[in-house]
Amino acid sequence: MKELDPLLHSQLRLAVMSILMNVEEADFVFLREKTQSTAGNLSVQPDKLSTAGYIDVQKGFVGKKTRTTCHVTEKGRAAFEQYVQDIKALLNL
Amino acid sequence: MEEKNITSQESMAIISEMIERSKHHRYLGDGNILLLWGYTAVVVAGLVWLLLAVTHHPAMNWFWFLIWIIGGTATPIMARKRRDKSGVTTYTDNICNALWSIVGYSAIALTFLCLGFLLAAGKDSWSAMLMLPLLIVGIAEIMQGVVMRERSLIWGGAIGALCGLFTLCCIAGGVALVARWFMPMFIIAFAAMMIVPGHVLNAKSRREK
Repeated sequence: MKELDPLLHSQLRLAVMSILMNVEEADFVFLREKTQSTAGNLSVQPDKLSTAGYIDVQKGFVGKKTRTTCHVTEKGRAAFEQYVQDIKALLNL
Repeated sequence: MEEKNITSQESMAIISEMIERSKHHRYLGDGNILLLWGYTAVVVAGLVWLLLAVTHHPAMNWFWFLIWIIGGTATPIMARKRRDKSGVTTYTDNICNALWSIVGYSAIALTFLCLGFLLAAGKDSWSAMLMLPLLIVGIAEIMQGVVMRERSLIWGGAIGALCGLFTLCCIAGGVALVARWFMPMFIIAFAAMMIVPGHVLNAKSRREK
């Protein structure tokens, strides 16, 4: 049986990737609201996904506040699509 | 939600739920840019109409450019604020931004063409500048309405585009665009294209808040 991508097979990272697949780009606050997670739990996920090359993370400023925006890369898109295929195969869908 | 391993069924549920949550979003003040352009166009048209009636001097038509100057300056600032506030850029946003960029560049190109006609050949082609905001803006708004599935934009855009086509026929047929009927038509068209949909969008985003 094919092993699922361990990076995506995690509740919070999968949620983040699912959102980013559906939009052009989203910031940290938007991701936190939509995933209903805490800042502490969420904060490490973009870095993990970014290290794997699945998303691009850009840090900037809005006024005096920092703003972290993320968007999915081609590699991330391919990995997500493969993950969905693998899940479908596992579930016989 | 936290970092934990999940079953295959849970994976599918998360994907569906996140797609649903990020699919539909409206934000307070979504119609503000439309309202800015709408009220600016209506006020400037009223001002030009008044000045033409009082002075009878065609130079008063230069005040039309106030619409582009005010709208063109304020729109990028408002759009940036809206994006920062919403925290997300969707594919729909990108399509709409591209549509309005095309409208903006068309206006700039037409301005230079009209100036060229005037300076190079002494021909007055400025009536084309009265047709452009009605026809091209109307068409762009219909397309935005289709993308956003917003009927007020489709109907408003259709009224504007129809007025634009009528203006085009007048220009082609040599019918003079007289302020007495053109100005009310222009004001009604912009109210239908921008002001009504702007308030509709704001009311919808307020209800969803």
